[in-house]
Amino acid sequence: MSQRTFIDEQRRNRRSSILLAVIISLFLLGLVTIITFFFVAPDAVIYVLPFSLVIIIIYTWSMYQYGDRLVLSSTKARPAEGDEFTYLNNVVEGLSIAAGVPPPKVYVIDNSDINAFAAGKDPQHASITVTTGALKTLSREELEGVVGHEMSHVRNHDVQFMTYIVAIVGIVSILSHIILLWAELSVMSGGGRRRGRNGGGGSIIFLVVGLILAIFAPLAVALIEFAISRRREFLADAGGAELTRYPEGLASALEKIMKTNQGGMKVDAAVSPLFISDPNKIGLSNLFATHPPLAERIKRLRQM
Amino acid sequence: MDVLTILGIGVVGVIVLILVGLYFSYYNRIRRYENQISEAWSQIDVQLKKRYDLVPNLVETVKGYAAHEKEIFEQVAAARTGMIQGTPQQRMDSSNMLTSGLRQLFAVAEAYPDLKANENFKLLQEQLQGIEDKIAYARQFYNTSVLTFNNLITTIPGAWFAGGRSKHEFLNIPEGERQVPKVQF
Repeated sequence: MSQRTFIDEQRRNRRSSILLAVIISLFLLGLVTIITFFFVAPDAVIYVLPFSLVIIIIYTWSMYQYGDRLVLSSTKARPAEGDEFTYLNNVVEGLSIAAGVPPPKVYVIDNSDINAFAAGKDPQHASITVTTGALKTLSREELEGVVGHEMSHVRNHDVQFMTYIVAIVGIVSILSHIILLWAELSVMSGGGRRRGRNGGGGSIIFLVVGLILAIFAPLAVALIEFAISRRREFLADAGGAELTRYPEGLASALEKIMKTNQGGMKVDAAVSPLFISDPNKIGLSNLFATHPPLAERIKRLRQM
Repeated sequence: MDVLTILGIGVVGVIVLILVGLYFSYYNRIRRYENQISEAWSQIDVQLKKRYDLVPNLVETVKGYAAHEKEIFEQVAAARTGMIQGTPQQRMDSSNMLTSGLRQLFAVAEAYPDLKANENFKLLQEQLQGIEDKIAYARQFYNTSVLTFNNLITTIPGAWFAGGRSKHEFLNIPEGERQVPKVQF
């Protein structure tokens, strides 16, 4: 049994979410300010800053509110209604009782791969989706292990957390692209309109720093996102095992995934961290992987 | 006022703030965990009531094919009534007795192919099995909540803020109830 309870873990996640969102937003604003200052004109900062702040807030808020509907429609998930899904619905409801959260809505995706994901801004508005491949191929204990893992994500507010991060990484990416494009254009047009800050080695250095920031910022933030995503997956594995009291169920399901998944789900990379196993089967077991290597996850589960 | 006095007051102020913060934190956590135990019990209660409502239907369906199994029907009826009254542990004991009675009923159904094929019977069986799983999960959550609460009020500094509260009891399964029933034909 863990020293820290689920409740403490949840609140810690929530606090981390807010803190991280604030930090990354500030970083973003800093990025925008510095680059506007040096690439456009110092006085332009006054206009660009509030404008980008508004965009960031709107974007983050929409991802938070509607992110789950986006994912559900983009993957063509349908509600798991009818007698054929009675067992699945019972498992989801049972595990939600064990987790102390309201029962999430249940959806299915028609696909032969074995996969599942959790979505929704908080446990009161959560949904869990499972592929028909998972329902056909997995045994009862294995399915319970998978649903337990997803339920753990819901309980830990992981979805909220990851949505923030994914949204912000997306913005950093877009902004950096825009800024680099602008820089490229202004260099090509012969050094443009740098009024009042001409010449001198000093401003060249700042320019270079700004450029490096623009190039590496999306990379740095993305690496942080992947690292966090991997840690959350391990946490969800452990949490799921604690809910079902049977880590072998999930371990054995992950083994089946390792053998059968073709990577044919064609899911947007931005939402792939929400799935139990990388749906695009990029197969990278390194810094860029959203999920830890399956072999490592199986090993840890069997050691519990 | 000189610097030292101001500093002294500042330090005392910080210590007071920390103590107050600690008090709020533990006060809230104790109450939150207590609330969670009640919430966990109400989950079990909901499942017990669902079961209470479904069982008569099942008994009637089985009676239509195997009316002579009086002992089992009586056990099930007694357990069913016991499920909605008494202390939590008593109600859980009745619930376990009902589980054992239902298992015997389903075992009996093996000898009556017509009963086994009856749609109503199959539906009720699936529903009752689902409820049993949920009761197991709900009991797990209840016991986890009790453990969390007990841990908080028995360790320091939680124990200082416990205000005379005592540990809650876990919900146990009595040893006898764990046996698989043997059915004689």
